[in-house]
Amino acid sequence: MFGSYPVFLREMMLFRRRFLRLGYFFSAMFAPLLYLLAFGLGLGHRISIAGGSYLDFLLPGLIAMSSMNNSYTWIATSLTVGRLHFRTFQIFIQSPVSPFAIVLGEVLAGMVRGLFASSMILLVGFFLGSGLYFIPLFIPALLLNCFLFASLGVVSGLKAKSHEDTATFSNFFILPMAFFGGTFFPVEEMPRWLQFVIRLLPLAHTNKLMRAKCMGSDCLFSLAVLVIFAVIFFVISIHLVRTYSE
Amino acid sequence: MDRRQWTAFYLSAPPRLPLASVFGHMINIDHITKIYGAIRALDSLTLVIKQGEVFGLLGPNGAGKTTTIKILTTLSKPTSGRAAIGGHDVEKEPLAVKNIIGVAPQEINLDKELTAEQNLRVYGMLHRLDNLGRDIKDILELAGLSERSNHLVRDFSGGMQRRLLIARALLTKPNVLFLDEPTVGLDPQVRRQIWDLVRNLKENGTTVFLTTHYIEEAEALCTRVGILSRGRLIALGTPQELKGEVGGFVLEYQENGNTRYILCQSREEAHSLSQSKKGPIIIRESNLEDVFIKLTGERIGKAEQ
Ligand SMILES: Nc1ncnc2c1ncn2[C@@H]1O[C@H](COP(=O)(O)OP(=O)(O)OP(=O)(O)O)[C@@H](O)[C@H]1O
Ligand SMILES: [Mg+2]
Repeated sequence: MFGSYPVFLREMMLFRRRFLRLGYFFSAMFAPLLYLLAFGLGLGHRISIAGGSYLDFLLPGLIAMSSMNNSYTWIATSLTVGRLHFRTFQIFIQSPVSPFAIVLGEVLAGMVRGLFASSMILLVGFFLGSGLYFIPLFIPALLLNCFLFASLGVVSGLKAKSHEDTATFSNFFILPMAFFGGTFFPVEEMPRWLQFVIRLLPLAHTNKLMRAKCMGSDCLFSLAVLVIFAVIFFVISIHLVRTYSE
Repeated sequence: MDRRQWTAFYLSAPPRLPLASVFGHMINIDHITKIYGAIRALDSLTLVIKQGEVFGLLGPNGAGKTTTIKILTTLSKPTSGRAAIGGHDVEKEPLAVKNIIGVAPQEINLDKELTAEQNLRVYGMLHRLDNLGRDIKDILELAGLSERSNHLVRDFSGGMQRRLLIARALLTKPNVLFLDEPTVGLDPQVRRQIWDLVRNLKENGTTVFLTTHYIEEAEALCTRVGILSRGRLIALGTPQELKGEVGGFVLEYQENGNTRYILCQSREEAHSLSQSKKGPIIIRESNLEDVFIKLTGERIGKAEQ
């Protein structure tokens, strides 16, 4: 358990070092801000969804999307490169820390990354005048979303045979999920059969929770789905670290 | 690295001796086989190393030296066979093993985007060191890197990085130290410093397991050497024993533009053999390289093509 702190600390040190290079910061934040400005300003005045402005609809979706992207990508990349190229991951394996601690440290670091990106978008949203009212499940859904996708990042970072693998997985799984999971338009707009598939995607449930005004049984179900995904990915990660062998 | 300083650092908190060291066997390798696809990297390797030994594993590229170290340091799981360090099975009690080992791998796996101090701090915390700040300061001084403590490792020369890598492995004062080709690419002066370091470690009772391509390094440092070829241990003993086994003297002569070697039991034998050779000849005492060449057939094989 305590062994997760140095694992976390190292990622934070590396994050700070990257962060100090402004170019990196802008490229990481560019896509969500672009979506926010282009869609939010372009469509915002014409469309209203569920009685609110489009911007109010879009903002939680973009937060869910970039918390997913950032939590996942940072950890997946860091582990793939650290394991295959710099071989720094091997230090953890050779140190007296448990697989649980290693995974927890990495996941917490991924969450910080995801939460950081989310708060940036939230900030921009406020300046654009989004009236994001208090939603009870917003914070738990956001935290679960970061945890879940950081854990998925660990899985993919430990499984990838090359750096390209991570990118491929991201393109075929993470990106479509962002587009179909209710980021830009409600899932209900989709054909029925597709809605059924989408319900299997964790991000769809995050999106739903982040926009839900009440805490119905429907919400509890979505919450349970996120928890189940989070536990599954986390347990797989621990298993992969425990059975790590070159 | 000054010997007095070194001893002071090491004795400031003597290494925890594992139970099995009472029996004197620090590293126990029992019929380890490692298969990668179609490659048999290690073939039923069996080897026992006592506490306080400086053991050198020699062998041509791809012989399986790094694979052996990976298995002993829990990075790789053997296909079959067992290994134990300090009496702890590497597969069944990995945490106990990790508590008493230090590893300086063949590739320099430092975080280049972090400073020397940050690299050591993360490593020390992973090992739950109590007096981390002081230990880091001491080890950086021993490695001659005090002034560079807050510089990014990226900006270090290759030799400085290698020194930091070894310093990191020593930070926890391990009972068993693994050094995979510790002096590759170092200038002669730094190489001597690392030799002195290993000798000091030996005096302090640390068990050292090293691999090297430099025969003179093995002769200078090791109490025993093993020669590995295609995953099999083909020779094992003190440098003296091995030289004695293949013959204490060597006759070198020229034939068709190639240098040939004949190993002889005595100087007289070499002399009498040299009578029939034309051109320049050399008669000298054998060294580990001759043993190596004779047993692995590496250079001899090439010369005969
Ligand atoms: N991860 C791996 N996958 C496939 N084959 C591997 C792997 N690691 C090592 N090998 C193979 O196992 C054999 C032994 O490799 P190893 O790295 O142990 O050699 P070595 O003695 O350390 O060589 P060198 O002196 O070049 O460092 C080689 O044939 C190598 O190609
Ligand atoms: Mg090697």
